Amino acid sequence: MFLLSHFSMPLTHKKKFIVIGLLLLIFNVSSFAHGVDSNTERFLTTTHGSAFMPFLYIGAKHMVTGYDHLLFLIGVIFFLFRGRDILIYVSLFTLGHSLTLLLGVFNHINMNVYLIDAVIAFSIVYKGFDNLGGVKRLLGTQPNTKIAVFFFGLFHGFGLATKLQDFSLPQENLITNMLAFNIGVEIGQCLALLFILTLLGFWRRYNSYYTFSTASNTLLMSGGFVLLAFQITGYITSV
Amino acid sequence: MNTIPHPSVKSLIWSCISSVLIATVIFVIAVLPAEYNIDPTGLGEKLGLTVLSQTGDDTLKASIISCPETTELTPENTVTQKWKDTVVITVPANKGLEYKFYIAKDEKLEFIWNTDGEALYFDFHGEPEGDKTGYFKSFKESTQNQSSGTLSVPFTGSHGWYWQNKSSKPVTIILKTRGEYKILGLL
Repeated sequence: MFLLSHFSMPLTHKKKFIVIGLLLLIFNVSSFAHGVDSNTERFLTTTHGSAFMPFLYIGAKHMVTGYDHLLFLIGVIFFLFRGRDILIYVSLFTLGHSLTLLLGVFNHINMNVYLIDAVIAFSIVYKGFDNLGGVKRLLGTQPNTKIAVFFFGLFHGFGLATKLQDFSLPQENLITNMLAFNIGVEIGQCLALLFILTLLGFWRRYNSYYTFSTASNTLLMSGGFVLLAFQITGYITSV
Repeated sequence: MNTIPHPSVKSLIWSCISSVLIATVIFVIAVLPAEYNIDPTGLGEKLGLTVLSQTGDDTLKASIISCPETTELTPENTVTQKWKDTVVITVPANKGLEYKFYIAKDEKLEFIWNTDGEALYFDFHGEPEGDKTGYFKSFKESTQNQSSGTLSVPFTGSHGWYWQNKSSKPVTIILKTRGEYKILGLL
């Protein structure tokens, strides 16, 4: 809901969000590593039973520090200007990754973490290319961007599910813990989006946003390519 | 109102080429040496980036130097305690690891360990054999650069330490133990 009201927000409220955003940035930089760090790993391997708040926190942290998910989201909202559109696209992404996160964990679908992360990295390249109008030029018509965002959301969810299952999750209270993790992911996503939207919102007031949009999406593709190469090398060296 | 710019085909191709080029440069010069210790250009080593990956998996795998104590039992001096096993464990910078022993219920584990100076967060704990729930019992949790004592093992299972190195340098631990156990080693 706050996404809708974001654009009509008075400036004083925006200042508050900048402070939150900056705090998030610091948090983001200090925790640095994507995925699950050794502390979290230790918690996940030694905990048993229901642990709602810890799983909520891990989910939120995973999203806020997960640069691949964030880069994709930046790509998705780059040319979305209306709060309503942002809400629809983000909801589709959320629906997609929640579905596969829950299904993946319940059915013990465990994919190779490097390969699934490579697909996630590819989704960033795709979105950057799509924002440049490349997909439309390549195929002749613009594929439905809503379906695309949902489709890639499914892969992001498998990534989340695979990472959680790398640790022997306790089977008791699995549902509670999974839901807590999923809710945490959404909270983290909302916080990260607030930060991104605040920054983009400011930049959008200037013409440079539009003059540099090609460069921005080129850089987005670069980021995706780096992650893609990183994951593929990880896969090759791990086999 | 600004409209979404549609780059021309030429600009689109340039975008794709330059994004691949930027990605390749970053990946080959920085990511490969820092993450995987693969350094095709040699620049990674010059920039000091390969250090990051060398303290990672390599040290985790090769950090144990087992040195069975040369126990020369002097018949006159059997009172002097001699350790059964001594192990040197290196905890890489910003990493944590576990070193475990399999010990039966009611056995005793005598131990002494110290680091090369740096205090480490540790959790001395045991997990019952065959337990799948992830249960563990913590015997001692603290941040110190040494610890010693005798553990009366409450249940059969794996017992040992989790050490976490929060510093930016690898820390070496010398652990000496005595008792009826089977070494499980690094986990």
